[in-house]
Amino acid sequence: MKNSNNHSTNPASADVFENLRLELRRGCLIVAVLGQLKTERYGYTLRKAMEDAGLPIDEGTLYPLLRRLESQGLLVSEWREEDKRNKRFYRLSSEGKRTLKQLIDEWRKINASLQQILSEE
Amino acid sequence: MELIERYLQAVGFWLPAAQKRDILAELSEDIRSQIEDKESELGRKLTDSDLETILKQRGSPIMVANRYLPQRSLIGPVLYPIYLLVLKLAWLFCFVPWLAVWICLNIFVPSYHANASGNLIVGTMHGFWMALVYIFAAVTFAFAVLEKYALKSGFLEKWNPRKLPPLRDANRIKRTNSIAEVVALLAVCAAWLTFMSSPVMVNQPGLKIILAPSWRIYFWSILALMLVTCAFSIVNLLRPYWTRLRATVRLFTDGIGWGLFAWLCKTNLIAEITLPNVAPEKTMHAANAINWWMSLSFPYIIAGGVLVVLLDVYRIVRVKNTATPSAGGLAALVGMHG
Repeated sequence: MKNSNNHSTNPASADVFENLRLELRRGCLIVAVLGQLKTERYGYTLRKAMEDAGLPIDEGTLYPLLRRLESQGLLVSEWREEDKRNKRFYRLSSEGKRTLKQLIDEWRKINASLQQILSEE
Repeated sequence: MELIERYLQAVGFWLPAAQKRDILAELSEDIRSQIEDKESELGRKLTDSDLETILKQRGSPIMVANRYLPQRSLIGPVLYPIYLLVLKLAWLFCFVPWLAVWICLNIFVPSYHANASGNLIVGTMHGFWMALVYIFAAVTFAFAVLEKYALKSGFLEKWNPRKLPPLRDANRIKRTNSIAEVVALLAVCAAWLTFMSSPVMVNQPGLKIILAPSWRIYFWSILALMLVTCAFSIVNLLRPYWTRLRATVRLFTDGIGWGLFAWLCKTNLIAEITLPNVAPEKTMHAANAINWWMSLSFPYIIAGGVLVVLLDVYRIVRVKNTATPSAGGLAALVGMHG
């Protein structure tokens, strides 16, 4: 994980930054996971794909998130054998596709607003 | 691979039965994929030490399992601040009177002080500690029930901005309080003058009670104090705002009042009781018993007085630290002006 630690040498301040960074990432990770699952993947390859895309996610976060998204009807999954091993494959449901589109629109608006706000400084 | 199985078993221990198999299968597959990746990267089989490193990176079994569980709390974030406030108040109302009485017993009751052996102190502390624990348990239980059942009813959503409490100004004296004080003090003064002016408290054919000569001092002192307090309440009624001067006067009148009351308890107030057909020794014994019981209340009266005086001191400090009313309501309160 890329972590810019040059903001402060103060441990308390570093903690504050770390918490804010995690908050900032949390929502983005959901969009990224949904985005990655436009193509069917199983958990480990999804992790690798996220890492390759520069948004690493640990398994302790990913698998509970996948379960939550599935219980919300945004993902569908099935157990299937691949390379002589049973793996659970996930992909977006039709509801998930609609939601992802809405989230991307929302993210673009937020991004545009943020860019405007930050360019004013 | 036994280490992996043991790890999965430990994670499974904390998982709900309905999801356990599914979660463990997926977790197991993820670990095996990671191992395969690592082995191809290193070009050799992983040792137990390598496996240990991988598992340690994943976190302790209970932490891993916990991420799959729904977030649960006995008292949630909505009720938690109210819970803390109630707990603090409950402890405060238990602790302050207990401490005041305990201090006064130690200072003013030599027999208590002399008998305050280690066992007695330990016993007292134990009783106090148990009271704190019971309060904690009762308040926590009540809020847990509230969280589980009442919060879902959305009772916190049912509110009306118009029913919010009015802006609180701690230094404003309620006029109703001042009126009540004036009326009550005038009534008590009238009764005091009518019924209490003579040391012969009761003078009936069947009963005669005579108070000690010190009663006269007490009678006039209390009368003077009541008149001063009455005048003070009238001033408060006309100008209903605490100032440092008035808060200090209230401190003195309260202190003198409680001091006189405490002194009265120690003065062997009942001098003589006369009952026809009852031997004087017996009535004297009864008078002594009443005086003795009155003297027993002395530490409690001192404790009460100390509490009142502390509240009065707090009022003086508050008046000193508060901006003047002309500084302007809420703006002054939240520092919005300027």
